[in-house]
Amino acid sequence: MIAPSIIKDLARIVGKENILADLKDLLAYSYDATMRQEMPDVIVFPRNTEHVSAIMKLAHREKIAVVPRGAGTNLSGGTIPVKGGIVLEISRMNRILEINTADRRAVVEPGVINLDLQNALAPLGYFYPPDPASQKTSTMGGNIGENAGGPLCLRYGVTSKYVFGMEVVLADGEVINIGDYVEDFPGYDLRGLFIGSEGMLGIATKLILHIIPKPEASRTMLAIFDRLEDCSQAVSDIIGAGIVPGAIELLDQKMCQVIEQSVKAGYPTDAAGILLIEVAGLANALEKQVQEISQFCQKNNARELRIAQTNAERDAIWAGRRGAFGSVARICPPYIVCDGTVPRDKLPAALHKVGEIAEKYKVLIVNVAHAGDGNLHPLILFDVNKPEEHETAKKAGDDILDACIAMGGTISGEHGIGLEKMNAMRHMFDPSDMAAMRRVKHVFDPDDIFNPGKMFPPEAEAVLPKEKGAAR
Amino acid sequence: MDNTVSQEKQAFYQKLGEIAGTSNVLTGEKATACYTVDGITPQAIVHPASTEQVANIVRAANESRITLVPWGSGSKQQIGPCLEAADTMLCLGNMNQIVELDASNFSVQVQAGIVNGELQKQLAEKNLFFPLDPLYMETSTIGGEIATNSSGPRQFMYSTVRDLVLGVTVVSPTGDIIHTGGKTMKNVAGIDLCRMYIGSWGTLGVITEAVLRLFPLPEASAGLYITFNDAEDAFRMVGQLLNSPLTPSAIEFLDSVAGHSVAETLGSGLNDGDALLIVNAEGTRGDVARHCQDVSALAKTNKAKTIMALEDEKAFPAWMAYRGVQGAMLGANHSIVQGKAAVPISKLGDMVQQVKKISASHSVKIGLTAHCGNGILYTYLAEEHEALLRITDELKRAAASLNGFFLIELAPLSVRKEIDILPPRNDYPLMRRLKAEFDPNNILNRGRLVGGLG
Repeated sequence: MIAPSIIKDLARIVGKENILADLKDLLAYSYDATMRQEMPDVIVFPRNTEHVSAIMKLAHREKIAVVPRGAGTNLSGGTIPVKGGIVLEISRMNRILEINTADRRAVVEPGVINLDLQNALAPLGYFYPPDPASQKTSTMGGNIGENAGGPLCLRYGVTSKYVFGMEVVLADGEVINIGDYVEDFPGYDLRGLFIGSEGMLGIATKLILHIIPKPEASRTMLAIFDRLEDCSQAVSDIIGAGIVPGAIELLDQKMCQVIEQSVKAGYPTDAAGILLIEVAGLANALEKQVQEISQFCQKNNARELRIAQTNAERDAIWAGRRGAFGSVARICPPYIVCDGTVPRDKLPAALHKVGEIAEKYKVLIVNVAHAGDGNLHPLILFDVNKPEEHETAKKAGDDILDACIAMGGTISGEHGIGLEKMNAMRHMFDPSDMAAMRRVKHVFDPDDIFNPGKMFPPEAEAVLPKEKGAAR
Repeated sequence: MDNTVSQEKQAFYQKLGEIAGTSNVLTGEKATACYTVDGITPQAIVHPASTEQVANIVRAANESRITLVPWGSGSKQQIGPCLEAADTMLCLGNMNQIVELDASNFSVQVQAGIVNGELQKQLAEKNLFFPLDPLYMETSTIGGEIATNSSGPRQFMYSTVRDLVLGVTVVSPTGDIIHTGGKTMKNVAGIDLCRMYIGSWGTLGVITEAVLRLFPLPEASAGLYITFNDAEDAFRMVGQLLNSPLTPSAIEFLDSVAGHSVAETLGSGLNDGDALLIVNAEGTRGDVARHCQDVSALAKTNKAKTIMALEDEKAFPAWMAYRGVQGAMLGANHSIVQGKAAVPISKLGDMVQQVKKISASHSVKIGLTAHCGNGILYTYLAEEHEALLRITDELKRAAASLNGFFLIELAPLSVRKEIDILPPRNDYPLMRRLKAEFDPNNILNRGRLVGGLG
């Protein structure tokens, strides 16, 4: 617990209207999109960089933990305040400061919601490629903290490719600029270190983003398969032929069934798996790509191939995919999302392994995947009232991650480590690798003020925060 | 320099032989003289054969406080802040093998000493390529290109080293082997150390292996060579091209000083004040045909003087001439200064105008080339000391007034010692702390990068 005088000091910095300290409010900020819960001491909503700097000076002086938080949609427990302290909520720093299409740049505050930025860019004929499924609610600051991906990242690359510069407040309140508006800045790539650092190195207060013109045309397809193996093999064949679509998403039968219960996307509920494929580029070159992709689907026994003829049809196809996690939450709130990623050609083998693990543990796993990137998202469902089911689900999740590592893959493609995958870090990295990461943390934040207790597995076995109840 | 070599150093040089084999260690002034950098001649040259050997060498060096300079092909050793110490050159040239080519995953794991051009040859046999094309790719090593964050014209389509390297294996200044990244296209497990090492100029660790992202060779390509009477017309066209859905792989600008040799290859000439624009396209036949058509049309509406569309290998001679421009300009005069300006993309034309004004006011010729889609302009000038300081000062102010920066890349030692090479930034203190944390004894590439961050 922090002293009441600290809360008064914070109120003096940001104003009373920008602070929450009631129990019910603290409770609302005690969890995120994962299954854990821990109480913060106070929630602060800075309005500008000066606020953030002053808050950090205070926290630094008093050695209080600070957890930066956007919309709290992260899937790894990254925003759970395990050491209490201050939750630094950036949602009120949400101005788009500049859009300059001639320079291909947008400058935004970290609380800007991804989709709001897209909506501001669209009328200008531009877009910001990273499109996490959470884009309706997740903030740009949060996207940077987790190095967010999304379906379009297959063609365009992830967040780290599109953040050119940042204004950052360090643990002692110092404000610095890393990266730049222009390209090829001199010195170490502190920006590269910062992106995906899960709020552990500092807090970004201004972001310089790279934006690009929208492709001239796009075609969206839905390919339907009776065997999941065929479905994933088609992905391997398409990618292997050197075709780089805008996106290839894979959903298995159970996922389609769940989605159709809440989103009317028109997905078949009797097929083993579907692929959602979008190609984009110059209009005259698209038809050839569509034909090639069709051939690969047919070669792999696709039962049906639908090509969206109207924008409404395209939007319906995408709405199902974007609503996938939400649809699962509707029928079964507690689930574990795996984020294991394998080399592209290992996707069929990895999905097969997931099926074996589901059978071994007798758990229900539904699958959605950024298939073109080899990024799996098996969702493991369980009954929250049966603790032994949760344990089994966790074991199944660990097995999936170990299988991904064994195939030359990684434990996280886009969701981050946070609390959930802390222990799996040991399976992935040597002690010397982890020591180097800790050195970086030490340079940025020697007193361990920013988001303590995350990412690095404790030397001894950690006491994990208590499990969260059914409320989500 | 002190000619007496301490006993500890002598013992270290002996140890080098034990680690890498005596035939892979060179000592003595005669042998090491050609490795002289910034006036410093090393005492020993070692050619390790594996990451483990590199680790053993660096660990021993750290214990004995021996300064090391990682060395690929040496093509970047004259760039940037001056080296302050170099007891031993750590040459990666013998570590030049492909470790694993995974064609179906579009990735390759290589040892750091492999030469880019050599790698490309081997990849082409599998119909693949690595889209990094810095100027000296025929001789420069992949490890060196990663360490120096070197990109070329294709960065407009494929981005820079930072987005093309999936992982690196590094030996830390204390001799630990560190693995970063991996084989997957997406990876957010832990702090992204890979990006820290990319562009760290060998000051934070020695890169010994790398996993690179590959692409299939494009079905077709073309180069459009367009000349203008006025650079202003060229940059207006670039602005329109960038605001279109076209996706060229490179957009390069040359002024009449720099573009002369390329124009000659094309069988035409450039008058004083003319500008040459090269627009490359690659992809499917359909993509390339469309680019040829639309780019030509754009050029016409922007008062282009001549337009030449060269398809596939027909563009090769002109492109090779372009790649030789920098070498030709530097080769003629050892006192030449190569500077680099980075400005907002839309301000590149303004920067060119400013450079022209500066060159006119000092009556000096300044050669210019630019990566237009990235806002990067290279300046080449040969000038005497006094005037040079004034000119670079004006170039710095011009870039800063456009919200960019100007820095000196290549220059004679006397020049690099005297002027501030790098632009001011407020994150240098943090960078210096990073260097001190990782290299507490400052043994790796002392003086480079952070050493020059004033």
